[in-house]
Amino acid sequence: MTGWREFDQNLVSHSAAHHLTTIQFLLDEFGYARVSDVARHLGITRGSVSVTLKGLRLRGLVIEDEHKHLGLSEEGIRIARGIHIKRILIQTLFRDVLGIDDEVAEQDACKVEHLVSDDTADAVGRLLQKIETGKAPQQMQKMMKELEKESSGTVSDFPSEKVQKFAELLEQRQTENEGDTK
Amino acid sequence: MSSGITRAEAIERLNGLLAEEMEASMRYLHLAMMVQGLDRLVVQKVLQDNLEETLEHSEQVAEKILQLGGNPAPKIRIDFEERRYSGKEALQEALLFEQAALDGYRDLLEQVDGCGDVILEEFARQQVSVESEHVSELKMLLGE
Repeated sequence: MTGWREFDQNLVSHSAAHHLTTIQFLLDEFGYARVSDVARHLGITRGSVSVTLKGLRLRGLVIEDEHKHLGLSEEGIRIARGIHIKRILIQTLFRDVLGIDDEVAEQDACKVEHLVSDDTADAVGRLLQKIETGKAPQQMQKMMKELEKESSGTVSDFPSEKVQKFAELLEQRQTENEGDTK
Repeated sequence: MSSGITRAEAIERLNGLLAEEMEASMRYLHLAMMVQGLDRLVVQKVLQDNLEETLEHSEQVAEKILQLGGNPAPKIRIDFEERRYSGKEALQEALLFEQAALDGYRDLLEQVDGCGDVILEEFARQQVSVESEHVSELKMLLGE
């Protein structure tokens, strides 16, 4: 498994993703975004923002006018919007389908929003849409209700014996499947 | 403090500036380590001198926070790029965070100007002057 190495070559880093979505948020909310606004919103120094934005400017994702007002290029807007949508979808999946507490769901979604592929995000979106429109199999709707009932908030003993055994079974099945396809 | 800014706001502002200065120190240290090429002979010394100065500034800002009855508590979060820098690239990056610190001190000065705390006002004015010199020196080195 070498996929984790790709994280470093990801299109945008975690920090860059936050900068892009923050600029988009500030533009939508206030109509302008400056380095100081981004720094305040993210709770980091102006120096850090300036250094990160330099890289994003060089990549043509962020633009700055003569009054030091920030904007996003078309590609920057596309990436920021994509990350924002992925965050919403994943947070909803974790909260509404898995029954995770909203705050934890939001934090976890934030951790993966910039790493999840477009394919996965699209599939999550389609699944949520099916659930929303009542087109998901009844069995799934029932299962979601059960999960919600079972959910006891914070997990303190992960992995529980039950989950660990099940994960081992899944791993074994996956290994067998890989062996079959070779 | 009579107007413009409360003591708590001043302490918060100063802690923000302390974070800028401390991050700048770490960035200078990193750049001094990572600068390569013939420029290294000259630029590394400039970066190391600036590192010393930013450390002094950090102490001065922390002192100011203590005088106001606060605690120096900078929130620092710093990511370093894993790469070597040419002399020009290192100075360009230094210019970015020096300019950010200058803007921060300018904002502070704007807020404390005429607020009644002459010492804090004078401190902000002095820092604006020193940081402006830093920015000018870096621009001169970069030929801007």
